Amino acid sequence: MRTLSTIAVGFDGSPNAKAAVRWAFNLAAPIDAKVVVVHALGMLGRFEGHDAATEIEESVRQLSDDCGLDAARVHFHVANGDACSVLIRMADDPISADLLVVGSRGQGKHPGLLLGSTSLELAEHATIPLVIVPSL
Amino acid sequence: MLIMNGRYEDAGHEESGHPERPDRITAAMAGVDDLHLGDDLKVVPAYAATRAELARVHEGTYLDELGAFCYAGGGDLDEDTYATYDSWTIAQYAAGGGLAVINELKRLGDGVGFVATRPPGHHALRDRAMGFCLLNNISIAAASLIEQGERVLIVDWDVHHGNGTQAIFWDKPDVMYVSTHQSPLFPGSGAAFEIGGMSALGKTINIPLPPGATGDVVRRAIDEVATPSIVEFDPTWVLVSAGFDSHRDDPMADLSLTGGDFAALARTVAGFAPGPGRIAMFLEGGYDLAALRHSVASTLGAVLASAYEAESPSSGGPGTEMVQNAQAERLVALRIAQEAASKGDYST
Repeated sequence: MRTLSTIAVGFDGSPNAKAAVRWAFNLAAPIDAKVVVVHALGMLGRFEGHDAATEIEESVRQLSDDCGLDAARVHFHVANGDACSVLIRMADDPISADLLVVGSRGQGKHPGLLLGSTSLELAEHATIPLVIVPSL
Repeated sequence: MLIMNGRYEDAGHEESGHPERPDRITAAMAGVDDLHLGDDLKVVPAYAATRAELARVHEGTYLDELGAFCYAGGGDLDEDTYATYDSWTIAQYAAGGGLAVINELKRLGDGVGFVATRPPGHHALRDRAMGFCLLNNISIAAASLIEQGERVLIVDWDVHHGNGTQAIFWDKPDVMYVSTHQSPLFPGSGAAFEIGGMSALGKTINIPLPPGATGDVVRRAIDEVATPSIVEFDPTWVLVSAGFDSHRDDPMADLSLTGGDFAALARTVAGFAPGPGRIAMFLEGGYDLAALRHSVASTLGAVLASAYEAESPSSGGPGTEMVQNAQAERLVALRIAQEAASKGDYST
């Protein structure tokens, strides 16, 4: 049985992604797992020129405090690509995640359709266990 | 003679503030106008590609979902890629524009093709839109050609790696895919060790380049890394993913190419075609309208031997070492894959 030592959680700034990050932090805190908060940098991210790494750190720092997770266990990873491809790569070196966590729907707007749903595409293609966290 | 598609109504595929916008086609067509081709320009009408033509490349369920998504009003497919109510129809015309140009080149047995359509295509996967792309236009054209028994070389000089095209033909021995692209950059793929599947080992050639790389480095990459394999492949058709976001003025990335570099690249790539009527260039990226206009004119002017005056080629940027490393990395990957294949344990 694989030990749960590294959890990769996708984060795009949406409320659902925040719910996923909170869930991952709550899971990691009692087992002292490492959490890698992953942000996919798409074509527009480069075009718009914002500092994604700083933005996601600011967004989730408070959440780790709320969940009682040692801030030193939280890492941030910004990678070029679409969210699905980037998250699938988290199973490989150097991250070597044991578990993927994503919100049920990120920036997409059509809950009835597969298109635009990173979580459903990950469910089809992920090579490690995946948790899809519904928004409440 | 230049064979290009007629413009279709693409204004309905637009999102406020998004760089992939109808003005891009206006700029590209202005670049063609700048060549003053007169009777040497032939325009063929684009048509909506049929489902059978699209299904050579894309999964049927994806085509159904994309159509339904658009007819439900559209929206954001991911953080980069949008669709509107009209996008499904417009994407079908974009794919059909390429097929129309290819068909006319075949009929005439002469000319150079230019496919000025949008949305662009080289990021679109079999089952997924991404990177502004809905349908993979160049792959749909290439699939049509290989069904007719052709061997197709696809050269992709867009600043982004054409992950969709690579994935679609990853294990297809009748297609050679060559990409120069900035790295690191979206979509994160395109490493030199990505060399193709077991049935097509070596037929994917990736040459990543650092920010600031100039035209001399890109030409060296093509000459030293790709050309020997291309000559051996002996293509019967050449298609180009002509992305002009590798121009130094483009806001999407940091390569430093000029119109003169695209002209030189175009001459080199045209030399891989076995004869007239066997090369077509597909518009991919290019988001600075002035640079796009000039780059289109420079590229097409070079292969049509026009008197259009392009910017001077660029040189002196970084990347020579990265090209050398790419060549070494590629050769190691090929050797490892061939050894694994000989033992029967190479996985695609």
